[in-house]
Amino acid sequence: MSEYLRILAKRAKKWAHLMKSGRPLVKGRRLKRYIRKGIPNEYRPAVWLQVSGANDKKSELEADLYIKLLAGKHDTTMMETIRTDLPRTFPDNIFFSAAGEYQERLYRVLIAYGHHNKTVGYCQGLNYIVGLLLLVTKSEETSFWLLKMLVEKILPDYYSPTMDGLVTDIEVITELVSTRYPDVSAHLNTLGLPWPVVITKWLICLFCEVLPTETVLRVWDCLFNEGSKILFRVTLTVIGSHRDELMACDQFGDLAECLKIIVKDAVSVNCHTFIEVKYINETEHLF
Amino acid sequence: MANRGGPGGRPNGTAQQQQGGGGGGRICQFKLVLLGESAVGKSSLVLRFVKGQFHEYQESTIGAAFLTQTLCLEDTTVKFEIWDTAGQERYHSLAPMYYRGAQAAIVVYDVTNQDTFGRAKTWVKELQRHASPNIVIALAGNKADLSNKRNVELDEAKAYAEENGLLFMETSAKTAVNVNEIFQEIGESIVGLFVLVVGIQICRSEQSRLNYVSKIVYSLWYRK
Repeated sequence: MSEYLRILAKRAKKWAHLMKSGRPLVKGRRLKRYIRKGIPNEYRPAVWLQVSGANDKKSELEADLYIKLLAGKHDTTMMETIRTDLPRTFPDNIFFSAAGEYQERLYRVLIAYGHHNKTVGYCQGLNYIVGLLLLVTKSEETSFWLLKMLVEKILPDYYSPTMDGLVTDIEVITELVSTRYPDVSAHLNTLGLPWPVVITKWLICLFCEVLPTETVLRVWDCLFNEGSKILFRVTLTVIGSHRDELMACDQFGDLAECLKIIVKDAVSVNCHTFIEVKYINETEHLF
Repeated sequence: MANRGGPGGRPNGTAQQQQGGGGGGRICQFKLVLLGESAVGKSSLVLRFVKGQFHEYQESTIGAAFLTQTLCLEDTTVKFEIWDTAGQERYHSLAPMYYRGAQAAIVVYDVTNQDTFGRAKTWVKELQRHASPNIVIALAGNKADLSNKRNVELDEAKAYAEENGLLFMETSAKTAVNVNEIFQEIGESIVGLFVLVVGIQICRSEQSRLNYVSKIVYSLWYRK
């Protein structure tokens, strides 16, 4: 822990220096390296907005789009569907509990986006994504624009009615995993819990509600900057770093339990090592 | 039909004879999938059955969640591999991945919401067409504790279940009414089916097969 605090302090200093100039961030190797090592919390909203292209999109479209969408007429079915999920999103988090104010914020971002992109509307899973975006950015409007970039640019067709993009990526990742770790894939198939059913939630929620939050944020740093291939790498990282545990399961029940444990264990909690040093870089040559 | 090969495919009805371990009876392992509209209480039924708990606000399930629970029925131990799925219509295209190879399904609706009953019927139809031919399907009218707000009549659901050869119960994950019971009834049905099929397979002659089946039918008839 103290080691991680030391890293955080060092990164904070470097980022402060980078952001001090106020100039737009230039995409390139240096920025990628900086982002891989983690964006300090205070700069996350601004950096995510810029590297995801949300800022450009915002100036291309109307800047007050979010406000207008909220003022518009809303579909009753969509309103009800979203309302049902509000108390079912992070129910144990103090900000999202009944007394917290985040449920209403979550509602507004989801309903606005659902009307902005009528093809996608509301898809379960977006509640968790927007929930975490709100906790990080503390701004409904920023969350709205980042959601737009995720759904439309970074992960096209993940959340559309037929979920074609998601289904394709599930197949691709399954193929990658079985090429790289054929023993693990075969083992999971034998136990009756094949990769596609395991990783569906990982992809839909972008690892939110799967990995520890700090690790999810580090994944999202890379996701906004580098795109969806990061999800492939993180999946391979989780699997590759827990091969022995997975292979040791000899029944469906053990495996189901093991899959819950490995995403929360020390390897997954130690986000700095997880993202930067050991694993993501090990999968670099694959893409 | 259920086994189209690929990563999801496994032989149906994994049942093993195991020796020792106290009772020395049969151990059967079955895959059970829960289907139904969003927020009808699928995860809550599972949580009640597996952990004996209930959360007023259960997190919405994304994709699917996997749990196990064991039931003891006379000389048989039934191990359920439970696949709890996301209910939103959007996830429909992923559903075959979940019910493929399942030996049992619980299709859940909310007794206070007529639309969810309609959706349950659609699920039943889909399972009858595309799931394993011997799948045991149970219909659960959940939230029975809210029967003063009911919108689906008990008789209506019962008649539908009978017409379609489904097990049926109104359940409440909140009060625990009929939760263990529905899983138990499913377990009994599957074990019954399994015994029947194995029995037929081990009969050597046509005549002994015929005798065996008539014995089973006779005993089932008088049990009811």
